[in-house]
Amino acid sequence: MAFRRRRRTFHRRKVCRFCVDSELRIDYKDPKTLRYFVTERGKIVPRRISGNCAKHQRELTLAIKRARQVALLPFTTIHTI
Amino acid sequence: MRKYETFFIVDPDLPDDVTSSVDEKFKSIISSQGGIVLNYAPWGKKKLAYPVKKRSRGLYVLTEYSGGPELVAELERNMRLDERVLKFITVKLEDRFDPEKELPRDSKARPVYDEDDEALVRAAEASDEDEGEDYDEAEYEEQEEE
Repeated sequence: MAFRRRRRTFHRRKVCRFCVDSELRIDYKDPKTLRYFVTERGKIVPRRISGNCAKHQRELTLAIKRARQVALLPFTTIHTI
Repeated sequence: MRKYETFFIVDPDLPDDVTSSVDEKFKSIISSQGGIVLNYAPWGKKKLAYPVKKRSRGLYVLTEYSGGPELVAELERNMRLDERVLKFITVKLEDRFDPEKELPRDSKARPVYDEDDEALVRAAEASDEDEGEDYDEAEYEEQEEE
Protein backbone atom coordinates (compact mmCIF):
# COMPACT_ATOMS: atom_id res chain seq x y z
CA MET A 1 0.00 0.00 0.00
CA ALA A 2 2.77 2.34 0.97
CA PHE A 3 4.40 1.73 -2.34
CA ARG A 4 1.24 2.60 -4.11
CA ARG A 5 0.79 5.81 -2.20
CA ARG A 6 4.28 6.89 -3.07
CA ARG A 7 3.48 6.20 -6.67
CA ARG A 8 0.62 8.57 -6.52
CA THR A 9 2.87 11.46 -5.63
CA PHE A 10 4.45 11.04 -9.02
CA HIS A 11 1.13 11.88 -10.50
CA ARG A 12 1.60 14.33 -13.31
CA ARG A 13 -1.15 16.82 -13.98
CA LYS A 14 -2.54 15.93 -17.34
CA VAL A 15 -4.03 18.55 -19.55
CA CYS A 16 -6.32 18.21 -22.49
CA ARG A 17 -4.26 18.65 -25.63
CA PHE A 18 -7.20 20.05 -27.53
CA CYS A 19 -7.93 22.67 -24.88
CA VAL A 20 -4.31 23.80 -24.76
CA ASP A 21 -3.84 24.00 -28.50
CA SER A 22 -6.86 25.46 -30.21
CA GLU A 23 -5.18 24.92 -33.58
CA LEU A 24 -5.47 21.20 -33.10
CA ARG A 25 -8.75 20.08 -34.58
CA ILE A 26 -10.49 16.78 -34.13
CA ASP A 27 -11.25 15.47 -37.58
CA TYR A 28 -12.05 11.93 -38.59
CA LYS A 29 -10.16 12.45 -41.85
CA ASP A 30 -6.90 13.08 -40.01
CA PRO A 31 -5.68 9.71 -38.76
CA LYS A 32 -2.30 11.11 -37.81
CA THR A 33 -3.73 13.05 -34.88
CA LEU A 34 -6.19 10.32 -33.99
CA ARG A 35 -3.51 7.65 -33.93
CA TYR A 36 -2.08 9.27 -30.82
CA PHE A 37 -5.29 8.47 -28.91
CA VAL A 38 -5.50 4.87 -29.98
CA THR A 39 -3.47 1.95 -28.61
CA GLU A 40 -1.35 -0.25 -30.82
CA ARG A 41 -4.22 -2.65 -31.01
CA GLY A 42 -6.58 0.06 -32.12
CA LYS A 43 -8.47 0.62 -28.89
CA ILE A 44 -9.44 4.12 -27.85
CA VAL A 45 -7.23 5.36 -25.01
CA PRO A 46 -9.35 6.20 -21.96
CA ARG A 47 -9.62 9.71 -20.70
CA ARG A 48 -7.89 8.96 -17.42
CA ILE A 49 -4.77 8.12 -19.37
CA SER A 50 -4.84 10.58 -22.24
CA GLY A 51 -5.92 13.43 -19.94
CA ASN A 52 -8.50 14.80 -22.33
CA CYS A 53 -11.43 16.78 -21.05
CA ALA A 54 -14.87 15.21 -21.31
CA LYS A 55 -15.99 17.37 -24.19
CA HIS A 56 -13.02 16.65 -26.35
CA GLN A 57 -12.98 12.99 -25.47
CA ARG A 58 -16.55 12.71 -26.74
CA GLU A 59 -15.63 14.40 -30.01
CA LEU A 60 -12.53 12.27 -30.30
CA THR A 61 -14.44 9.03 -29.76
CA LEU A 62 -16.84 9.96 -32.54
CA ALA A 63 -13.98 10.90 -34.84
CA ILE A 64 -12.12 7.65 -34.19
CA LYS A 65 -15.24 5.62 -34.87
CA ARG A 66 -15.83 7.46 -38.12
CA ALA A 67 -12.21 7.01 -39.14
CA ARG A 68 -12.62 3.28 -38.57
CA GLN A 69 -15.62 3.23 -40.87
CA VAL A 70 -13.61 4.61 -43.76
CA ALA A 71 -10.61 2.38 -43.10
CA LEU A 72 -8.33 5.16 -41.94
CA LEU A 73 -7.94 3.53 -38.54
CA PRO A 74 -8.13 -0.18 -37.77
CA PHE A 75 -10.90 -1.75 -35.74
CA THR A 76 -8.41 -4.36 -34.67
CA THR A 77 -5.06 -5.63 -35.85
CA ILE A 78 -5.84 -9.29 -36.38
CA HIS A 79 -7.54 -8.78 -39.73
CA THR A 80 -4.62 -6.94 -41.22
CA ILE A 81 -2.92 -8.97 -43.91
CA MET B 1 -30.42 23.60 -47.47
CA ARG B 2 -27.94 21.68 -45.44
CA LYS B 3 -24.27 21.21 -45.92
CA TYR B 4 -22.84 17.73 -46.09
CA GLU B 5 -19.58 16.07 -46.85
CA THR B 6 -19.14 12.62 -48.26
CA PHE B 7 -15.85 10.86 -47.98
CA PHE B 8 -15.62 7.75 -50.09
CA ILE B 9 -13.14 5.19 -51.34
CA VAL B 10 -12.97 4.27 -55.00
CA ASP B 11 -11.36 1.12 -56.35
CA PRO B 12 -7.68 2.07 -56.89
CA ASP B 13 -7.05 -0.43 -59.69
CA LEU B 14 -9.29 1.36 -62.16
CA PRO B 15 -7.78 3.34 -65.02
CA ASP B 16 -7.88 7.13 -64.80
CA ASP B 17 -10.69 7.61 -67.30
CA VAL B 18 -12.96 5.32 -65.28
CA THR B 19 -12.25 7.20 -62.05
CA SER B 20 -13.04 10.47 -63.76
CA SER B 21 -16.32 9.00 -64.96
CA VAL B 22 -17.06 8.10 -61.33
CA ASP B 23 -16.38 11.72 -60.42
CA GLU B 24 -18.72 12.93 -63.14
CA LYS B 25 -21.42 10.51 -62.13
CA PHE B 26 -21.59 11.65 -58.53
CA LYS B 27 -21.28 15.31 -59.38
CA SER B 28 -24.19 15.00 -61.79
CA ILE B 29 -26.26 13.14 -59.19
CA ILE B 30 -25.72 15.97 -56.73
CA SER B 31 -26.67 18.66 -59.22
CA SER B 32 -29.64 16.73 -60.60
CA GLN B 33 -31.09 16.53 -57.09
CA GLY B 34 -30.84 20.26 -56.65
CA GLY B 35 -27.57 20.28 -54.74
CA ILE B 36 -24.46 22.35 -55.22
CA VAL B 37 -21.01 20.81 -55.28
CA LEU B 38 -18.83 23.05 -53.13
CA ASN B 39 -15.68 21.05 -53.19
CA TYR B 40 -14.56 17.89 -54.89
CA ALA B 41 -11.09 16.76 -53.96
CA PRO B 42 -9.45 13.43 -54.72
CA TRP B 43 -7.06 12.66 -51.88
CA GLY B 44 -5.00 10.13 -53.77
CA LYS B 45 -4.30 6.48 -53.19
CA LYS B 46 -3.75 5.39 -49.64
CA LYS B 47 -3.21 2.20 -47.76
CA LEU B 48 -6.35 1.05 -45.99
CA ALA B 49 -6.22 0.19 -42.30
CA TYR B 50 -7.93 -3.09 -43.08
CA PRO B 51 -8.78 -4.81 -46.36
CA VAL B 52 -12.05 -3.77 -47.98
CA LYS B 53 -13.45 -6.02 -50.70
CA LYS B 54 -10.06 -7.77 -50.78
CA ARG B 55 -8.22 -4.58 -51.59
CA SER B 56 -5.54 -3.17 -49.37
CA ARG B 57 -5.33 0.25 -51.02
CA GLY B 58 -7.98 2.77 -51.89
CA LEU B 59 -8.48 6.01 -53.74
CA TYR B 60 -9.97 8.48 -51.28
CA VAL B 61 -12.25 11.26 -52.48
CA LEU B 62 -13.76 14.03 -50.38
CA THR B 63 -16.69 16.03 -51.60
CA GLU B 64 -18.61 18.83 -49.92
CA TYR B 65 -22.02 19.83 -51.12
CA SER B 66 -25.22 21.43 -50.04
CA GLY B 67 -28.65 20.00 -50.49
CA GLY B 68 -31.54 18.33 -48.78
CA PRO B 69 -31.75 14.99 -47.04
CA GLU B 70 -33.26 13.36 -50.17
CA LEU B 71 -30.05 14.14 -51.98
CA VAL B 72 -28.01 12.23 -49.44
CA ALA B 73 -30.34 9.26 -49.68
CA GLU B 74 -30.09 9.24 -53.45
CA LEU B 75 -26.32 9.66 -53.47
CA GLU B 76 -25.80 6.89 -50.94
CA ARG B 77 -28.16 4.60 -52.84
CA ASN B 78 -26.08 5.09 -55.96
CA MET B 79 -22.85 4.53 -54.08
CA ARG B 80 -24.16 1.29 -52.68
CA LEU B 81 -25.05 0.09 -56.17
CA ASP B 82 -21.81 1.19 -57.74
CA GLU B 83 -19.22 -1.57 -57.62
CA ARG B 84 -16.39 0.89 -58.03
CA VAL B 85 -17.08 2.53 -54.68
CA LEU B 86 -15.65 0.48 -51.83
CA LYS B 87 -16.84 2.53 -48.86
CA PHE B 88 -18.40 5.86 -48.05
CA ILE B 89 -19.38 8.03 -45.13
CA THR B 90 -21.60 11.10 -45.14
CA VAL B 91 -21.38 13.70 -42.39
CA LYS B 92 -23.65 16.68 -41.93
CA LEU B 93 -21.54 19.80 -41.52
CA GLU B 94 -24.20 22.45 -41.14
CA ASP B 95 -27.92 22.38 -40.57
CA ARG B 96 -28.64 25.68 -42.21
CA PHE B 97 -26.61 26.63 -45.20
CA ASP B 98 -26.99 29.64 -47.42
CA PRO B 99 -25.31 28.99 -50.78
CA GLU B 100 -25.05 32.68 -51.58
CA LYS B 101 -22.95 33.42 -48.54
CA GLU B 102 -20.30 30.93 -49.39
CA LEU B 103 -18.76 30.49 -52.79
CA PRO B 104 -17.16 27.24 -53.89
CA ARG B 105 -13.67 27.13 -52.51
CA ASP B 106 -10.57 25.42 -53.68
CA SER B 107 -9.79 22.09 -52.23
CA LYS B 108 -8.88 22.70 -48.64
CA ALA B 109 -7.69 20.20 -46.08
CA ARG B 110 -5.35 18.32 -48.30
CA PRO B 111 -3.89 15.15 -46.91
CA VAL B 112 -0.47 15.54 -45.41
CA TYR B 113 0.20 12.08 -44.10
CA ASP B 114 1.25 9.95 -47.01
CA GLU B 115 4.30 8.62 -45.24
CA ASP B 116 1.94 7.57 -42.47
CA ASP B 117 0.75 4.63 -44.53
CA GLU B 118 3.91 2.72 -44.05
CA ALA B 119 3.96 3.44 -40.32
CA LEU B 120 0.48 2.00 -40.07
CA VAL B 121 1.51 -1.27 -41.62
CA ARG B 122 4.57 -1.49 -39.43
CA ALA B 123 2.54 -0.87 -36.30
CA ALA B 124 0.08 -3.54 -37.31
CA GLU B 125 2.83 -6.05 -37.89
CA ALA B 126 4.50 -5.24 -34.61
CA SER B 127 1.35 -5.66 -32.57
CA ASP B 128 0.63 -8.98 -34.24
CA GLU B 129 3.71 -10.36 -32.60
CA ASP B 130 3.02 -9.36 -29.04
CA GLU B 131 0.59 -11.81 -27.55
CA GLY B 132 -1.45 -11.50 -24.38
CA GLU B 133 -3.61 -8.62 -23.30
CA ASP B 134 -2.65 -5.10 -24.11
CA TYR B 135 0.38 -3.61 -22.54
CA ASP B 136 -1.65 -0.53 -21.75
CA GLU B 137 -4.14 -2.27 -19.55
CA ALA B 138 -1.53 -3.91 -17.36
CA GLU B 139 0.51 -0.80 -17.08
CA TYR B 140 -2.29 1.53 -16.16
CA GLU B 141 -4.02 -0.72 -13.70
CA GLU B 142 -2.28 0.89 -10.78
CA GLN B 143 -3.43 4.38 -11.60
CA GLU B 144 -6.96 3.16 -11.72
CA GLU B 145 -7.22 2.81 -7.96
CA GLU B 146 -7.85 6.35 -7.00
